Amino acid sequence: MAPLNYLDAGSGSMLLQIILGGAAAFGVTMKLTWRRFLRALRIRRDDDET
Amino acid sequence: MTTRPSPSRTPEPASFRDPESRVVYSADGEVLRELSARGREDWEAVESARFFRRALEDGRIVATEEIEPGVLRHERLPFVSYPYEWPFEMLRDAALLQLSLLDEALAEGFVLKDGSPYNVQWRGSQPMFVDVGSFERLREGEPWAGYRQFCALFLYPLMLQAYRGVAPQPWLKGSLEGIEPSQARALLPRFRRGVLTHVVLHDRLEAKHADRQRDVRSELKAAGFKKELIQANVRRLRKLVERLSPKRGRSEWAGYREAAPYTDEDAERKERFVRDAGAADLVWDLGANDGRFSRAAQAEYVLAVDGDERVVGDLYGTLRAERSRTILPLVVDLADPSPGRGWRGLERTRLEERGRPDLVLALALVHHLAISRNLPFAELVTWLRGLRSRVVVEFADRDDPMVTRLLAAKREETHESYRREEFERSLAEGFEVERREELGSGTRTLYLAKPRS
Repeated sequence: MAPLNYLDAGSGSMLLQIILGGAAAFGVTMKLTWRRFLRALRIRRDDDET
Repeated sequence: MTTRPSPSRTPEPASFRDPESRVVYSADGEVLRELSARGREDWEAVESARFFRRALEDGRIVATEEIEPGVLRHERLPFVSYPYEWPFEMLRDAALLQLSLLDEALAEGFVLKDGSPYNVQWRGSQPMFVDVGSFERLREGEPWAGYRQFCALFLYPLMLQAYRGVAPQPWLKGSLEGIEPSQARALLPRFRRGVLTHVVLHDRLEAKHADRQRDVRSELKAAGFKKELIQANVRRLRKLVERLSPKRGRSEWAGYREAAPYTDEDAERKERFVRDAGAADLVWDLGANDGRFSRAAQAEYVLAVDGDERVVGDLYGTLRAERSRTILPLVVDLADPSPGRGWRGLERTRLEERGRPDLVLALALVHHLAISRNLPFAELVTWLRGLRSRVVVEFADRDDPMVTRLLAAKREETHESYRREEFERSLAEGFEVERREELGSGTRTLYLAKPRS
Protein backbone atom coordinates (compact mmCIF):
# COMPACT_ATOMS: atom_id res chain seq x y z
CA MET A 1 0.00 0.00 0.00
CA ALA A 2 1.24 3.52 -0.82
CA PRO A 3 2.54 5.57 2.14
CA LEU A 4 -0.16 7.36 4.08
CA ASN A 5 -0.35 11.12 4.45
CA TYR A 6 1.00 12.95 7.50
CA LEU A 7 -2.49 14.38 7.93
CA ASP A 8 -5.49 12.27 8.95
CA ALA A 9 -7.72 12.67 5.93
CA GLY A 10 -10.79 11.36 7.83
CA SER A 11 -12.80 8.38 6.46
CA GLY A 12 -16.01 10.39 6.21
CA SER A 13 -14.19 13.20 4.42
CA MET A 14 -12.72 10.74 1.92
CA LEU A 15 -16.12 9.19 1.18
CA LEU A 16 -17.71 12.61 0.84
CA GLN A 17 -15.24 13.41 -1.91
CA ILE A 18 -16.97 10.82 -4.11
CA ILE A 19 -20.30 12.60 -3.73
CA LEU A 20 -18.65 15.96 -4.37
CA GLY A 21 -17.00 14.58 -7.50
CA GLY A 22 -20.22 15.18 -9.46
CA ALA A 23 -20.66 13.35 -12.78
CA ALA A 24 -17.12 11.97 -12.62
CA ALA A 25 -18.13 10.03 -9.52
CA PHE A 26 -20.82 7.92 -11.17
CA GLY A 27 -18.60 4.98 -12.14
CA VAL A 28 -16.75 4.98 -8.82
CA THR A 29 -20.00 5.04 -6.83
CA MET A 30 -21.42 2.15 -8.84
CA LYS A 31 -18.28 0.10 -8.40
CA LEU A 32 -18.07 0.85 -4.69
CA THR A 33 -21.73 -0.08 -4.17
CA TRP A 34 -21.35 -3.25 -6.22
CA ARG A 35 -18.29 -4.34 -4.23
CA ARG A 36 -20.11 -3.69 -0.94
CA PHE A 37 -23.10 -5.67 -2.24
CA LEU A 38 -20.87 -8.64 -3.11
CA ARG A 39 -19.26 -8.43 0.29
CA ALA A 40 -22.64 -8.41 1.98
CA LEU A 41 -23.50 -11.63 0.10
CA ARG A 42 -20.08 -13.00 1.14
CA ILE A 43 -19.11 -13.46 -2.53
CA ARG A 44 -16.12 -11.12 -1.97
CA ARG A 45 -13.86 -11.03 1.10
CA ASP A 46 -13.03 -7.77 2.93
CA ASP A 47 -9.35 -7.99 2.04
CA ASP A 48 -9.86 -8.50 -1.73
CA GLU A 49 -8.10 -5.51 -3.20
CA THR A 50 -8.93 -5.72 -6.89
CA MET B 1 13.38 8.63 5.82
CA THR B 2 12.34 11.80 7.59
CA THR B 3 14.29 15.04 7.92
CA ARG B 4 16.58 15.79 10.85
CA PRO B 5 17.61 19.46 11.03
CA SER B 6 21.29 20.15 10.55
CA PRO B 7 22.87 21.07 13.92
CA SER B 8 24.14 24.41 12.58
CA ARG B 9 20.58 25.51 11.81
CA THR B 10 17.74 26.49 14.09
CA PRO B 11 14.46 24.61 13.55
CA GLU B 12 11.30 26.67 13.11
CA PRO B 13 9.13 25.64 16.10
CA ALA B 14 5.98 25.50 13.95
CA SER B 15 7.48 23.18 11.34
CA PHE B 16 7.27 19.64 12.71
CA ARG B 17 4.04 18.16 11.39
CA ASP B 18 5.23 17.05 7.96
CA PRO B 19 8.27 14.77 8.41
CA GLU B 20 9.22 15.14 4.72
CA SER B 21 9.89 18.86 4.91
CA ARG B 22 11.11 21.06 7.78
CA VAL B 23 11.73 24.80 7.91
CA VAL B 24 14.98 25.84 9.62
CA TYR B 25 16.96 29.09 9.90
CA SER B 26 20.59 29.53 8.98
CA ALA B 27 22.94 31.41 11.28
CA ASP B 28 22.39 34.45 8.99
CA GLY B 29 18.63 34.24 9.44
CA GLU B 30 17.92 32.78 6.00
CA VAL B 31 14.71 30.76 5.71
CA LEU B 32 15.64 27.24 4.60
CA ARG B 33 13.69 24.05 4.07
CA GLU B 34 15.31 20.68 4.62
CA LEU B 35 13.74 17.81 2.70
CA SER B 36 13.72 14.06 3.34
CA ALA B 37 14.63 11.70 0.47
CA ARG B 38 10.97 11.40 -0.44
CA GLY B 39 10.40 15.13 -0.02
CA ARG B 40 13.32 15.75 -2.36
CA GLU B 41 11.85 13.45 -5.03
CA ASP B 42 8.61 15.43 -4.85
CA TRP B 43 10.52 18.73 -5.07
CA GLU B 44 12.51 17.58 -8.09
CA ALA B 45 9.29 16.59 -9.82
CA VAL B 46 7.33 19.74 -8.99
CA GLU B 47 10.04 22.35 -9.58
CA SER B 48 9.92 21.76 -13.34
CA ALA B 49 6.11 21.60 -13.53
CA ARG B 50 4.63 24.42 -15.65
CA PHE B 51 2.08 25.50 -13.04
CA PHE B 52 4.80 25.75 -10.39
CA ARG B 53 7.15 27.87 -12.57
CA ARG B 54 4.23 30.10 -13.50
CA ALA B 55 3.16 30.61 -9.87
CA LEU B 56 6.76 31.35 -8.83
CA GLU B 57 7.03 33.98 -11.57
CA ASP B 58 3.80 35.75 -10.72
CA GLY B 59 4.55 35.67 -6.98
CA ARG B 60 1.73 33.32 -5.93
CA ILE B 61 4.37 30.93 -4.57
CA VAL B 62 7.19 32.29 -2.42
CA ALA B 63 10.53 32.67 -4.27
CA THR B 64 12.45 29.43 -3.74
CA GLU B 65 15.77 27.99 -4.91
CA GLU B 66 17.67 24.82 -4.15
CA ILE B 67 20.99 25.76 -2.58
CA GLU B 68 22.28 22.26 -1.96
CA PRO B 69 20.79 18.81 -2.56
CA GLY B 70 17.64 18.56 -0.44
CA VAL B 71 17.89 22.10 0.98
CA LEU B 72 15.76 24.96 -0.32
CA ARG B 73 16.10 28.65 0.41
CA HIS B 74 12.94 30.79 0.55
CA GLU B 75 12.57 34.53 0.21
CA ARG B 76 12.19 36.08 3.67
CA LEU B 77 8.87 37.90 4.01
CA PRO B 78 8.64 41.19 5.94
CA PHE B 79 6.17 39.96 8.57
CA VAL B 80 4.50 36.66 9.44
CA SER B 81 0.77 36.77 10.19
CA TYR B 82 -1.84 34.18 11.08
CA PRO B 83 -5.39 33.46 9.85
CA TYR B 84 -6.92 34.70 13.12
CA GLU B 85 -5.46 38.12 12.30
CA TRP B 86 -7.02 38.29 8.83
CA PRO B 87 -10.43 39.80 8.04
CA PHE B 88 -12.95 37.77 6.03
CA GLU B 89 -11.69 39.06 2.68
CA MET B 90 -8.11 37.98 3.36
CA LEU B 91 -9.18 34.52 4.52
CA ARG B 92 -11.32 34.18 1.39
CA ASP B 93 -8.48 35.26 -0.93
CA ALA B 94 -6.08 32.88 0.81
CA ALA B 95 -8.63 30.06 0.29
CA LEU B 96 -9.00 30.91 -3.40
CA LEU B 97 -5.23 30.99 -3.88
CA GLN B 98 -4.93 27.55 -2.31
CA LEU B 99 -7.76 26.14 -4.46
CA SER B 100 -6.47 27.61 -7.72
CA LEU B 101 -2.96 26.28 -7.08
CA LEU B 102 -4.42 22.87 -6.24
CA ASP B 103 -6.50 22.87 -9.42
CA GLU B 104 -3.47 23.75 -11.54
CA ALA B 105 -1.34 21.17 -9.72
CA LEU B 106 -3.90 18.40 -10.27
CA ALA B 107 -3.89 19.03 -14.00
CA GLU B 108 -0.18 18.15 -14.02
CA GLY B 109 -0.37 15.18 -11.65
CA PHE B 110 0.38 16.88 -8.32
CA VAL B 111 -1.67 17.47 -5.20
CA LEU B 112 -1.39 19.40 -1.93
CA LYS B 113 -0.83 17.30 1.19
CA ASP B 114 -2.97 19.61 3.28
CA GLY B 115 -5.43 22.50 3.13
CA SER B 116 -4.21 24.92 5.75
CA PRO B 117 -4.34 28.73 5.75
CA TYR B 118 -1.05 28.66 7.68
CA ASN B 119 0.48 27.76 4.29
CA VAL B 120 -0.31 31.28 3.10
CA GLN B 121 1.49 34.50 3.99
CA TRP B 122 1.24 38.04 2.63
CA ARG B 123 3.37 40.59 0.89
CA GLY B 124 1.18 43.60 1.59
CA SER B 125 -2.16 42.74 0.02
CA GLN B 126 -0.79 39.89 -2.10
CA PRO B 127 -1.35 36.37 -0.76
CA MET B 128 1.56 34.01 -1.25
CA PHE B 129 1.73 30.23 -0.83
CA VAL B 130 4.77 29.46 1.30
CA ASP B 131 4.66 25.73 2.04
CA VAL B 132 6.46 24.45 -1.05
CA GLY B 133 6.93 21.09 0.69
CA SER B 134 3.16 20.61 0.57
CA PHE B 135 3.20 19.74 -3.14
CA GLU B 136 3.57 16.04 -3.83
CA ARG B 137 3.01 13.69 -6.74
CA LEU B 138 -0.57 12.51 -6.87
CA ARG B 139 -0.99 8.87 -5.94
CA GLU B 140 -3.50 7.02 -8.10
CA GLY B 141 -6.75 6.27 -6.27
CA GLU B 142 -6.13 8.67 -3.36
CA PRO B 143 -8.54 11.47 -2.44
CA TRP B 144 -7.30 14.92 -1.36
CA ALA B 145 -6.03 14.48 2.21
CA GLY B 146 -6.37 18.20 2.90
CA TYR B 147 -10.10 18.47 2.21
CA ARG B 148 -11.18 18.08 5.85
CA GLN B 149 -8.58 20.60 7.00
CA PHE B 150 -9.69 23.02 4.29
CA CYS B 151 -13.25 22.81 5.62
CA ALA B 152 -12.20 23.25 9.26
CA LEU B 153 -9.84 26.17 8.73
CA PHE B 154 -11.17 27.94 5.64
CA LEU B 155 -14.68 26.97 4.59
CA TYR B 156 -16.49 26.76 7.95
CA PRO B 157 -14.99 29.99 9.33
CA LEU B 158 -15.99 31.79 6.13
CA MET B 159 -19.49 30.28 6.26
CA LEU B 160 -19.83 31.28 9.92
CA GLN B 161 -19.35 34.92 9.01
CA ALA B 162 -21.23 34.80 5.70
CA TYR B 163 -24.28 32.91 7.00
CA ARG B 164 -24.40 33.86 10.67
CA GLY B 165 -22.58 37.18 10.86
CA VAL B 166 -20.16 35.80 13.45
CA ALA B 167 -16.53 36.82 12.94
CA PRO B 168 -14.39 33.66 13.09
CA GLN B 169 -11.11 35.22 14.32
CA PRO B 170 -11.69 34.51 18.04
CA TRP B 171 -12.53 30.88 17.22
CA LEU B 172 -9.43 30.45 15.03
CA LYS B 173 -7.31 32.08 17.72
CA GLY B 174 -8.71 29.63 20.26
CA SER B 175 -8.42 26.50 18.13
CA LEU B 176 -5.56 26.01 15.71
CA GLU B 177 -7.39 23.01 14.23
CA GLY B 178 -10.35 25.21 13.30
CA ILE B 179 -14.03 24.27 13.42
CA GLU B 180 -14.86 20.54 13.38
CA PRO B 181 -17.65 19.28 11.08
CA SER B 182 -19.83 18.42 14.12
CA GLN B 183 -19.35 21.93 15.52
CA ALA B 184 -20.04 23.54 12.14
CA ARG B 185 -23.23 21.50 11.85
CA ALA B 186 -24.46 22.84 15.16
CA LEU B 187 -23.59 26.41 14.22
CA LEU B 188 -24.58 26.82 10.58
CA PRO B 189 -28.03 27.07 8.97
CA ARG B 190 -28.77 23.86 7.09
CA PHE B 191 -30.34 25.32 3.95
CA ARG B 192 -27.65 27.73 2.80
CA ARG B 193 -25.40 27.05 -0.18
CA GLY B 194 -22.90 24.27 0.49
CA VAL B 195 -24.02 23.47 4.03
CA LEU B 196 -25.96 20.25 3.33
CA THR B 197 -22.98 18.63 1.63
CA HIS B 198 -19.80 20.14 3.11
CA VAL B 199 -21.20 20.35 6.64
CA VAL B 200 -24.23 18.12 7.37
CA LEU B 201 -23.30 15.16 5.19
CA HIS B 202 -19.65 15.57 6.13
CA ASP B 203 -20.49 15.27 9.80
CA ARG B 204 -22.81 12.29 9.26
CA LEU B 205 -20.26 10.38 7.21
CA GLU B 206 -17.54 11.20 9.68
CA ALA B 207 -19.62 9.90 12.61
CA LYS B 208 -20.56 6.74 10.71
CA HIS B 209 -17.10 5.83 9.40
CA ALA B 210 -14.86 7.15 12.18
CA ASP B 211 -12.96 3.88 12.68
CA ARG B 212 -12.64 2.74 9.05
CA GLN B 213 -9.75 4.90 7.81
CA ARG B 214 -7.69 2.19 6.06
CA ASP B 215 -10.76 0.26 4.81
CA VAL B 216 -12.12 3.35 3.14
CA ARG B 217 -8.77 4.22 1.61
CA SER B 218 -8.38 0.79 0.00
CA GLU B 219 -12.04 0.65 -1.01
CA LEU B 220 -11.76 3.95 -2.83
CA LYS B 221 -8.61 2.87 -4.57
CA ALA B 222 -10.15 -0.42 -5.66
CA ALA B 223 -13.29 1.33 -6.89
CA GLY B 224 -11.14 3.49 -9.19
CA PHE B 225 -11.16 6.84 -7.37
CA LYS B 226 -9.53 9.27 -9.81
CA LYS B 227 -8.23 12.79 -9.86
CA GLU B 228 -11.23 14.06 -11.86
CA LEU B 229 -13.26 13.68 -8.66
CA ILE B 230 -10.86 15.89 -6.74
CA GLN B 231 -10.86 18.40 -9.59
CA ALA B 232 -14.68 18.52 -9.62
CA ASN B 233 -14.73 19.06 -5.84
CA VAL B 234 -12.06 21.76 -5.99
CA ARG B 235 -13.95 23.65 -8.71
CA ARG B 236 -17.18 23.44 -6.74
CA LEU B 237 -15.37 24.70 -3.65
CA ARG B 238 -13.95 27.63 -5.64
CA LYS B 239 -17.40 28.64 -6.85
CA LEU B 240 -18.78 28.33 -3.34
CA VAL B 241 -16.01 30.36 -1.70
CA GLU B 242 -16.14 33.06 -4.41
CA ARG B 243 -19.83 33.58 -3.67
CA LEU B 244 -19.42 33.96 0.08
CA SER B 245 -19.55 37.53 1.29
CA PRO B 246 -19.19 38.82 4.83
CA LYS B 247 -22.27 39.53 6.92
CA ARG B 248 -21.42 42.17 9.47
CA GLY B 249 -23.20 44.18 12.05
CA ARG B 250 -22.81 47.87 12.76
CA SER B 251 -19.25 49.10 13.06
CA GLU B 252 -18.35 52.05 15.23
CA TRP B 253 -15.18 52.60 13.22
CA ALA B 254 -16.23 52.26 9.57
CA GLY B 255 -16.37 55.73 8.00
CA TYR B 256 -14.34 57.13 10.90
CA ARG B 257 -12.56 59.61 8.63
CA GLU B 258 -15.82 61.33 7.69
CA ALA B 259 -16.99 61.41 11.30
CA ALA B 260 -13.55 62.08 12.80
CA PRO B 261 -13.55 64.61 15.65
CA TYR B 262 -10.79 66.67 14.03
CA THR B 263 -10.49 68.89 10.97
CA ASP B 264 -8.85 68.12 7.63
CA GLU B 265 -6.16 70.59 8.55
CA ASP B 266 -5.33 68.66 11.73
CA ALA B 267 -5.29 65.40 9.78
CA GLU B 268 -2.81 66.94 7.32
CA ARG B 269 -0.63 68.13 10.21
CA LYS B 270 -0.68 64.61 11.60
CA GLU B 271 0.39 63.25 8.20
CA ARG B 272 3.28 65.74 8.10
CA PHE B 273 4.28 64.86 11.66
CA VAL B 274 4.38 61.16 10.73
CA ARG B 275 6.38 61.86 7.54
CA ASP B 276 8.84 64.00 9.48
CA ALA B 277 9.41 61.18 11.97
CA GLY B 278 11.81 59.85 9.34
CA ALA B 279 12.48 56.66 7.41
CA ALA B 280 11.91 53.23 8.90
CA ASP B 281 12.13 49.62 7.72
CA LEU B 282 9.08 48.42 9.65
CA VAL B 283 6.33 50.65 10.99
CA TRP B 284 3.48 49.44 13.18
CA ASP B 285 0.41 51.65 12.78
CA LEU B 286 -1.76 50.81 15.79
CA GLY B 287 -5.42 51.67 15.35
CA ALA B 288 -4.77 52.19 11.63
CA ASN B 289 -8.45 52.51 10.59
CA ASP B 290 -8.45 53.46 6.87
CA GLY B 291 -4.64 53.45 6.69
CA ARG B 292 -4.25 57.19 6.09
CA PHE B 293 -1.20 57.46 8.35
CA SER B 294 0.20 54.08 7.27
CA ARG B 295 0.48 55.65 3.83
CA ALA B 296 2.08 58.80 5.21
CA ALA B 297 4.91 56.91 6.92
CA GLN B 298 8.25 56.76 5.15
CA ALA B 299 8.54 53.02 5.54
CA GLU B 300 9.68 49.95 3.67
CA TYR B 301 6.78 48.03 5.19
CA VAL B 302 3.84 48.92 7.41
CA LEU B 303 1.74 46.75 9.66
CA ALA B 304 -1.68 48.41 9.75
CA VAL B 305 -3.34 47.01 12.86
CA ASP B 306 -6.91 47.62 13.95
CA GLY B 307 -9.28 45.78 16.26
CA ASP B 308 -12.33 46.29 14.03
CA GLU B 309 -12.66 43.40 11.56
CA ARG B 310 -14.85 45.36 9.18
CA VAL B 311 -12.47 48.31 9.02
CA VAL B 312 -9.54 46.01 8.29
CA GLY B 313 -11.58 44.22 5.62
CA ASP B 314 -12.35 47.56 3.95
CA LEU B 315 -8.70 48.62 4.15
CA TYR B 316 -7.59 45.31 2.63
CA GLY B 317 -10.09 45.82 -0.23
CA THR B 318 -8.62 49.25 -0.99
CA LEU B 319 -5.03 48.03 -0.78
CA ARG B 320 -5.84 45.01 -2.96
CA ALA B 321 -7.35 47.30 -5.62
CA GLU B 322 -4.18 49.42 -5.48
CA ARG B 323 -2.01 46.25 -5.62
CA SER B 324 -0.18 47.51 -2.55
CA ARG B 325 2.80 45.39 -1.53
CA THR B 326 3.96 47.51 1.40
CA ILE B 327 1.03 47.71 3.82
CA LEU B 328 -0.21 44.57 5.62
CA PRO B 329 -3.61 45.07 7.30
CA LEU B 330 -4.29 42.89 10.36
CA VAL B 331 -7.13 42.46 12.84
CA VAL B 332 -5.67 42.69 16.34
CA ASP B 333 -7.33 43.83 19.54
CA LEU B 334 -4.44 45.61 21.26
CA ALA B 335 -5.94 45.01 24.69
CA ASP B 336 -5.95 41.27 23.86
CA PRO B 337 -3.25 40.78 21.19
CA SER B 338 -2.35 37.44 19.57
CA PRO B 339 -0.72 35.18 22.19
CA GLY B 340 1.72 32.29 21.74
CA ARG B 341 -0.33 29.30 20.57
CA GLY B 342 0.05 25.60 19.74
CA TRP B 343 2.65 23.17 21.02
CA ARG B 344 4.54 24.74 23.96
CA GLY B 345 3.01 28.06 22.93
CA LEU B 346 5.72 28.33 20.27
CA GLU B 347 4.03 27.19 17.07
CA ARG B 348 2.29 30.52 16.54
CA THR B 349 4.14 33.29 18.24
CA ARG B 350 2.99 36.46 19.95
CA LEU B 351 2.59 39.52 17.77
CA GLU B 352 5.48 41.25 19.54
CA GLU B 353 7.86 38.36 18.82
CA ARG B 354 7.47 38.46 15.06
CA GLY B 355 9.66 41.39 14.16
CA ARG B 356 10.72 44.57 15.87
CA PRO B 357 9.31 47.81 14.47
CA ASP B 358 11.52 50.89 13.92
CA LEU B 359 8.62 53.24 14.42
CA VAL B 360 5.24 52.80 16.13
CA LEU B 361 2.28 55.05 15.36
CA ALA B 362 -0.31 55.33 18.13
CA LEU B 363 -2.61 58.00 16.74
CA ALA B 364 -6.07 58.53 18.23
CA LEU B 365 -5.49 55.38 20.25
CA VAL B 366 -4.51 56.25 23.82
CA HIS B 367 -7.92 57.59 24.86
CA HIS B 368 -9.69 54.49 23.55
CA LEU B 369 -7.39 52.12 25.42
CA ALA B 370 -7.25 54.25 28.56
CA ILE B 371 -10.98 54.97 28.83
CA SER B 372 -12.87 52.21 27.00
CA ARG B 373 -10.49 49.44 28.08
CA ASN B 374 -9.42 50.96 31.44
CA LEU B 375 -5.72 50.58 30.59
CA PRO B 376 -3.55 52.71 32.90
CA PHE B 377 -1.09 55.08 31.17
CA ALA B 378 1.85 53.38 32.90
CA GLU B 379 0.80 49.98 31.48
CA LEU B 380 0.47 51.37 28.00
CA VAL B 381 3.85 53.11 28.15
CA THR B 382 5.52 49.95 29.51
CA TRP B 383 4.09 47.93 26.62
CA LEU B 384 5.19 50.51 24.04
CA ARG B 385 8.61 50.69 25.69
CA GLY B 386 8.91 46.90 25.29
CA LEU B 387 8.72 47.33 21.50
CA ARG B 388 12.07 49.20 21.71
CA SER B 389 11.14 51.57 18.95
CA ARG B 390 10.49 55.27 18.46
CA VAL B 391 6.83 56.22 18.81
CA VAL B 392 4.51 58.86 17.42
CA VAL B 393 1.72 59.10 19.94
CA GLU B 394 -1.32 61.33 20.11
CA PHE B 395 -3.01 62.45 23.33
CA ALA B 396 -6.53 63.88 23.41
CA ASP B 397 -7.49 66.09 26.39
CA ARG B 398 -10.57 65.62 28.55
CA ASP B 399 -12.45 68.35 26.67
CA ASP B 400 -11.90 66.71 23.27
CA PRO B 401 -15.33 65.71 21.84
CA MET B 402 -14.36 62.04 21.47
CA VAL B 403 -12.95 61.87 25.00
CA THR B 404 -16.05 63.57 26.40
CA ARG B 405 -18.17 60.95 24.66
CA LEU B 406 -16.09 58.06 26.00
CA LEU B 407 -16.07 59.47 29.53
CA ALA B 408 -19.83 59.95 29.48
CA ALA B 409 -20.24 56.17 29.35
CA LYS B 410 -18.17 55.67 32.53
CA ARG B 411 -18.55 56.47 36.22
CA GLU B 412 -17.01 59.90 36.67
CA GLU B 413 -14.33 59.05 39.26
CA THR B 414 -13.06 56.03 37.29
CA HIS B 415 -10.92 58.17 35.02
CA GLU B 416 -10.01 61.13 37.20
CA SER B 417 -6.35 60.58 36.35
CA TYR B 418 -7.05 60.88 32.62
CA ARG B 419 -5.15 64.18 32.25
CA ARG B 420 -2.42 65.39 29.99
CA GLU B 421 0.08 65.93 32.85
CA GLU B 422 -0.45 62.34 34.00
CA PHE B 423 0.09 61.02 30.49
CA GLU B 424 3.23 63.11 29.97
CA ARG B 425 4.62 61.93 33.31
CA SER B 426 4.09 58.26 32.34
CA LEU B 427 5.47 58.81 28.84
CA ALA B 428 8.61 60.46 30.25
CA GLU B 429 9.31 57.38 32.39
CA GLY B 430 9.81 55.17 29.31
CA PHE B 431 10.63 57.65 26.56
CA GLU B 432 12.51 60.81 25.82
CA VAL B 433 10.27 63.25 23.95
CA GLU B 434 12.02 64.63 20.85
CA ARG B 435 9.20 66.68 19.40
CA ARG B 436 5.80 67.88 20.52
CA GLU B 437 3.10 69.56 18.46
CA GLU B 438 -0.32 70.77 19.48
CA LEU B 439 -3.01 70.42 16.83
CA GLY B 440 -5.19 73.34 15.77
CA SER B 441 -8.22 71.94 17.62
CA GLY B 442 -6.38 72.76 20.87
CA THR B 443 -7.45 69.44 22.42
CA ARG B 444 -4.91 67.10 20.88
CA THR B 445 -1.12 66.84 21.09
CA LEU B 446 1.37 64.79 19.09
CA TYR B 447 4.64 63.49 20.54
CA LEU B 448 7.63 61.94 18.80
CA ALA B 449 9.59 60.02 21.41
CA LYS B 450 12.49 57.58 21.57
CA PRO B 451 12.82 54.84 24.19
CA ARG B 452 15.09 55.59 27.14
CA SER B 453 18.16 53.37 27.18
